[in-house]
Amino acid sequence: MHTLNRRDLLKIAGLAGAAGVVGGPSAVANAARTALAAESGALQVLDWAGYGNDGGQAMFAQYVKQHPGNKPKFTYMTNEADALAKIQAGLKPDLFRPYVGWVEYFATSGLVQPWDTSLLTNFKHLNPFMVKAGQYAGKQYGIPDDWGLDAILYRTDKVKPKTNSWSLLYDERYKGKIAWFDDPVENFTIAGLLHGFKDPWNQSDAELAQSKAFLISKKHLVRTIWASETDLDQQFASGDVWIALAWPNDWVQMKAKKLPVVYMHPKEKPIAWVGMFMLLKGTPRPELAHAYVDAWSSAKSGKWLEDNYGYGHANTLAKPASSDLLKALQLTNPRAVALPNAYLDRNVPRRAVYAKAWDEVKAA
Amino acid sequence: MFFLAPIGIVAAYSFNALALPPSSPGFTTSAWRSFIHSSVYLRLFWKSVEMSLIVSALVVVVAFPLAYFLALSGTKRKYILLLVLIAPFLTSYLLRVLAWKVILGDQGVVNSFLAWTGARSPDHPISALLYSRFAVMLVLGYVWLPFVALPIFVSLESLDTRLLEAASDLGATRWQAFRRVTLPLTLPGIVAAFLFVFIPTVGEFITPSLVGGTSGYMYGNQIVDLFGTGFPDWETGSVLALFLLAVIAALTVVFSRFIQGRDAAPA
Repeated sequence: MHTLNRRDLLKIAGLAGAAGVVGGPSAVANAARTALAAESGALQVLDWAGYGNDGGQAMFAQYVKQHPGNKPKFTYMTNEADALAKIQAGLKPDLFRPYVGWVEYFATSGLVQPWDTSLLTNFKHLNPFMVKAGQYAGKQYGIPDDWGLDAILYRTDKVKPKTNSWSLLYDERYKGKIAWFDDPVENFTIAGLLHGFKDPWNQSDAELAQSKAFLISKKHLVRTIWASETDLDQQFASGDVWIALAWPNDWVQMKAKKLPVVYMHPKEKPIAWVGMFMLLKGTPRPELAHAYVDAWSSAKSGKWLEDNYGYGHANTLAKPASSDLLKALQLTNPRAVALPNAYLDRNVPRRAVYAKAWDEVKAA
Repeated sequence: MFFLAPIGIVAAYSFNALALPPSSPGFTTSAWRSFIHSSVYLRLFWKSVEMSLIVSALVVVVAFPLAYFLALSGTKRKYILLLVLIAPFLTSYLLRVLAWKVILGDQGVVNSFLAWTGARSPDHPISALLYSRFAVMLVLGYVWLPFVALPIFVSLESLDTRLLEAASDLGATRWQAFRRVTLPLTLPGIVAAFLFVFIPTVGEFITPSLVGGTSGYMYGNQIVDLFGTGFPDWETGSVLALFLLAVIAALTVVFSRFIQGRDAAPA
């Protein structure tokens, strides 16, 4: 039986204290639990809600079969910044899932290490374009997995867009029925696309100021800025919101509720994202982490993800059961996440400046 | 130790004496200077103070008659009624806040009732009921009402009722007795109750994030966002957190001196 010595206790207290500064009592409990679990050797996964014990088991079934005695322990991240804050506060996951725009940031942060792709049996089936997007300096820091688009979801019985454009998110006719997504880069990029800026992901100070002023001037139209998909789905289903920047899964969920909805691709092009598994530097469980990611990379997992969440999957052999879904989300198009279909999210050199400006939009 | 050490760590972050990698630490007051010169943060702080002041004042006004009735009406069931008042505490805080969404939504209880009575068209519900400043203040008031009623109840119960009889014997009307005897003697309880609401609500972030929408966004939400949304900015987040702490501490000192001063004053 594993017993705790004085050093263990001090470590847990330290982690709990650090987490407490950031996240309050629940974070203290999580940090303490994580520290204990790390000693037992369980794989530590930092992932988004819906990808863990609350619904994602089918996506890592292969891992569970191979390692029945080592159930992964999940900690949830609400976004990459939250993951970064948790890791800095002392959480020690073996792997986590930021999105493609953060690959370069994390690869250069010293927090992660490249994967050994020879340990991933499903790697050869992964979309080469997405595989390349997970590389930095020739090394495979990110293993592509789920992908999708950020576009506009709206109620066809309530909303009549003048044109298929991001401008629907700022349409004065629907004041109080619009929801934005709580992400600085996303909001400033869309504002930049609408303003025709040369590089919306790397706006100059003057362009950022213009985007900020634009977003502040339109904020009165917005009822909520959603951070959790569950919140958005609830607001949409209850009729509190008719127009939202949303993910494909929200379209699938609202269709399942028989709501008349359209997932509109704006003429300025949607923004595409690809989930990238990243391996933490110095992890004591690299083989388990590789086995876990290999499970997620399988065609079977991909099909489950497509059928249940409406997201695409990097495994090119994965095919959803519904041809409607396949067609609507272009799941068989190997370059669906790239131009001319969409802008793939990318590294933002001045992410901190974007975040500060976005905070000011919310506070204004 | 457990109180001062975390504050010390936050203070170190606010001066960049500690920093999140890849940034390197180095003492600077730049985050404090930008905060003082930022109209955005100070305006948001004032907005939160204003909302908290309104909630605290209204809740005291609502709770006082309740506590007065329970303490001074002489009913034998006062402790049972008190239990009823604090019964909502038996359910989860989140559940109680979420229940308001069902009541206040566009297709919620209130709007459905208004549509049913014909007072409002179903196509034009009162949207300001949810995801608004009003929703935040209403829910905060509801959540904190028992916290206010209890200290007022205690101070009213410890009131020497013989003083009221004496006032009545000397010809005071009930209103005069209330104004000249009951109110001054229970003022410390009222002030304590006011602070019980004001202190936690001014830095509140859960309720506004659930029912506040864009217009109900408060100072506490900004602190949370600076620590973990978009890109972590612990330096500015720490400045905002310490400023809030300093204001609350100062207010607590001022009010507790006021309460002690009144208690120490000769009768």
